[in-house]
Formats: sequence, structure tokens, C-alpha cells
Amino acid sequence: MLQFVQQLVNGLSIGSIYALMAVGYSLVYSIMNFSNFAHGSVIMLGAYFGFFAMRLLGLPFAVAVLVAAAGTALVAVVLERLAYKPLRDRKAPFLYFIITAMGASIFIDNFVIATIGPTPKMYPDVFGQGPIILGDIAIGRVDLAMFAISAVCLAALIVFIDHTRLGKAIQATAYNMKASALMGINPSFVIILVFAIGGALAGIAGVLYGMKYQVFPQIGAITLKSFIAAVFGGLGSLPGALLGALLLGLIETFVSGYLSTQYRDLIAFIILIAMLVVRPSGIMGKSSEDKA
Amino acid sequence: MSMLEVRDLHVSYGGIRALKGVSLRVEEGEIVTIIGANGAGKSTLLNAISGFLKPGNGEVTFKGGKIGMKASKIVKAGICHVPEGRLIFANLSVEDNLRLGAYLRNDRKKIAADLERVYELFPRLRERMKQLSGTLSGGEQQMLAMGRALMTDGDLVLLDEPSLGLAPLLVKTVFDIIVEFRGLGKTILLVEQNAYKALRIADRAYVLEQGHIVKTGVAREIAEDPAIKAAYLGAKSTPVT
Repeated sequence: MLQFVQQLVNGLSIGSIYALMAVGYSLVYSIMNFSNFAHGSVIMLGAYFGFFAMRLLGLPFAVAVLVAAAGTALVAVVLERLAYKPLRDRKAPFLYFIITAMGASIFIDNFVIATIGPTPKMYPDVFGQGPIILGDIAIGRVDLAMFAISAVCLAALIVFIDHTRLGKAIQATAYNMKASALMGINPSFVIILVFAIGGALAGIAGVLYGMKYQVFPQIGAITLKSFIAAVFGGLGSLPGALLGALLLGLIETFVSGYLSTQYRDLIAFIILIAMLVVRPSGIMGKSSEDKA
Repeated sequence: MSMLEVRDLHVSYGGIRALKGVSLRVEEGEIVTIIGANGAGKSTLLNAISGFLKPGNGEVTFKGGKIGMKASKIVKAGICHVPEGRLIFANLSVEDNLRLGAYLRNDRKKIAADLERVYELFPRLRERMKQLSGTLSGGEQQMLAMGRALMTDGDLVLLDEPSLGLAPLLVKTVFDIIVEFRGLGKTILLVEQNAYKALRIADRAYVLEQGHIVKTGVAREIAEDPAIKAAYLGAKSTPVT
């Protein structure tokens, strides 16, 4: 029982950070119908932004998180303008978007390797050493921070999407871009907005991920798991991305805890594939005719 | 000055010349209808006016000024398009759909008053305001699309086949509502396959055939024209009323 609760806590912690990353994939997919594979590289940049803000500029953690979020939001929007907008203007098939995203990702990763170097870097210690003991359960301080910060960000995102005019405009545009334009909603504006939001969350996720592990140029590839979580939950659905990410986090930690770490990814991927066979649109994904 | 003036409009898409020099005008407070067979270019014309298709040639002026190309700017200028197939946001509630109609507006009090007016006009929508609009019937969705158009507060309403696929009783309601729209100060450009009904409520009409305007005049006279009667008001297409 004790181990169960312990794994549950760990799973929620890693799941919450997957969620923070996954919503970026999902938001962009919901509007533009393609998977932005450069998102992982933006997360990686966020980890570096936060690291340099703290190490070089000596900024406090909270400010560093904001700096990273602002930086990655900007990067995401610039990426959209430079890489995807020209494709949109030419009404290019979605495959071109995916290839462009992969190209952008390779470019960013190698740019970081060439300029900053491949050596992993450590964040300064912010939360102190040693786990927090609650009864018989030990919670890592960084894990707790990851969960708390992710939860606050995700809650804010949900309130924004469900209860503000701009949030509704995003939902409307996701459902039907032409119809939203008929309401006077500028599609370009909505696209910039989702890249900025996804980018800002990517930055925060990058900082948290970098704190839990280390900062290195391949973080982006690892965050591909959050993409899997988004697919699992249903690409394009925000609640789906949250649910998929939490489930993936829990599956991973339970497999690691009860079976073996080596089986972790194997089983996670088997579940993913089984899911896609049974329900290709994911747990809460929109069916293909909704997007027609 | 006409509210809407279309001059020598040419539009091609997908390699097909859909409009080959269409000119028309709509005066403030009028109901003008465009009738024509399937594929005559009626929807193309509305899509070009509201900025979804780029004309190859010709121009559209609204209230005397040239309107831009961006659909969102055109809404701001006061042209509101209710497209064929309604295009409601099925993933959002009825009320959210209506409020999105007022997306560009900031006059909170007037928005609330307009919302109330839409609910008075369409009591069914009030009953279902919290419901996901995807669960509405076809007729209710048409009401929602029209209510949403009212919420944009545009002066010119473009209606594309509003009666398409509706039961006869609902068709009558839709046409009654169009007349009410005029009562609310809206100017209407109506595209309809149901030429008989459209000509009965319209002031003037244009007949569009294969991308050309072939006839124009007072709606009542068009309705009496033997050639029009034969082509568009034949026994088959005339519903019994």
C-alpha cells in the first residue's frame, strides 16, 4: 500500500510535467492539424534560458522561470512566423509542416550543441536537499515543485481556454477556422497566440525538467514522450492531453516500481499502440470528421 | 450611395471560372436575392464579398469604401455572412456561439441587450443556451447561425441557402425571421435555391447563370417572368403553401 501511494505521488509528478509539455503539442495540433515536432527543442531552450538566467544573471528561481517562459514564447512565435507561416500562405500539405518542424528541431538542437556545447549542466540547488517526509511517504522537493507549478499553470490554462473570450476564440478556431473568421476572429492572431502559450508552458516545463535531471541538448528528444501522451489522450484535445500525460506518468512509474525500469518504455509504448489500434483518435480526441 | 456595390467581379478557383464579371448593388434596408441553379456561382459570390475568395478582377465597395481582403476586417466593417451549412461551433454551447458573434465588440451593455433580443427572436435557443450546439437539430442550428449573425451587429447580412435541408414549417420560420431582420435595420443579400420563397420576401432579385447575371429587376416582376418561372419556379421546385 505504501509503495502504491509512493508510486502514485511520483507518477503524478512526472505526469504533470508531461502534461505541461503535451498541451503545447495539443494546442498547435488543434488549430493547425499538424504535430509540431520542434516543440521538444523549444522545451530544451527553456531549460537553458532558465539555467543561464540563474547561473549567469543570478536571478532568483521565480524570475528565471518567467524569463524562460517569455524567451520560449518568443522563440515559438518566431518559429511560427519563419517556418510555418510561409507554408500556410502556400496552403502546403500537412506533411510539409511536419518535415519543416523536424528540420527546425534539428537546427535548434545542433545550434545549441555548436554554441553552448553538449556537456550537461546542473541547475543551482533551489529547493534544498533531502525529500519531504509525509508519514511514511517521501516526496522529492523538485518533484513537489514540478507538480505544484505544473498544476497551477495547467489550471490557469484551463480557466483561460474555457472562460475567456480569447480562449473561446481558440476553441472556435480549432473547430472551424472559416467559421471563426466569420466572427471576425483573425486566424493568424489565434495561431500566434497558441504558439506563444504553448511556448511559454514549454519554457516552464524545460526549467522544471532541467532541475529534476540536467540541462543538455537532447532534452527535446526525451520530451517526445509528452507527444506520445498527447496522442494517447487525443491530439487536439486539451483535457485529453492532461489525462494522457497523467496516465503515461503513472504507467511509467508503476511499471518501474513494480516490474523494472527496463520495461518502463516498452510497456508504455505497448499501451500506446494498443490504444491507437482500438481508438485511433485517442481517449478524448476529436474524430476525423470533426476536423473536415 | 449603395450599401454594397459589386463591380465586374471575376473569381476563379480550382481552375474554374466561377464568376465572369458580376455586378450588383444592394441599397440600405433592402432584401435582395440572388437566385440561380446549383453551381451558378451564388456561394462563390458571397464568399468573394466576405473575403474568403480572392477576386481575379473587379471590386467590392461597402458603404462607399473599398473593403479589404481579410475576412476578419470585413466583419469589422459590418458585413456578416451566414454560410451554407451554418458552420456553428458544435464544440461550444449555444450561448458561447452567440457570444462569439460579438467577438469584435466591446459595448458590453449593447451585447447583453442584443443577446436578449436573439433569445426573444429564437426562444428555442434560450431553452438550450447551456447545451452543446452540436446537439441541436438542423433547424435550431440555422436559428443559431442567424442569431450569431445578429450578434456581430453588422449592417449587411449575407445569407447563403438558409432554408437548405429544413422541414417546410421551419423554412417558413426562417423566411419570417429574414423579414424580421430587416425590421431590425439590417440589409439582406439572400442566396436561395428556393426561388419561390426568396422572391416573395425580396425587394429586388438577380438571376445568376454560369457566372453571369442574366436578369435583374423587382422581385415580384422576376417572379412573373415566364422564362424564370420555367427555369426556377417549375412545379417541382415550387412548394405547396
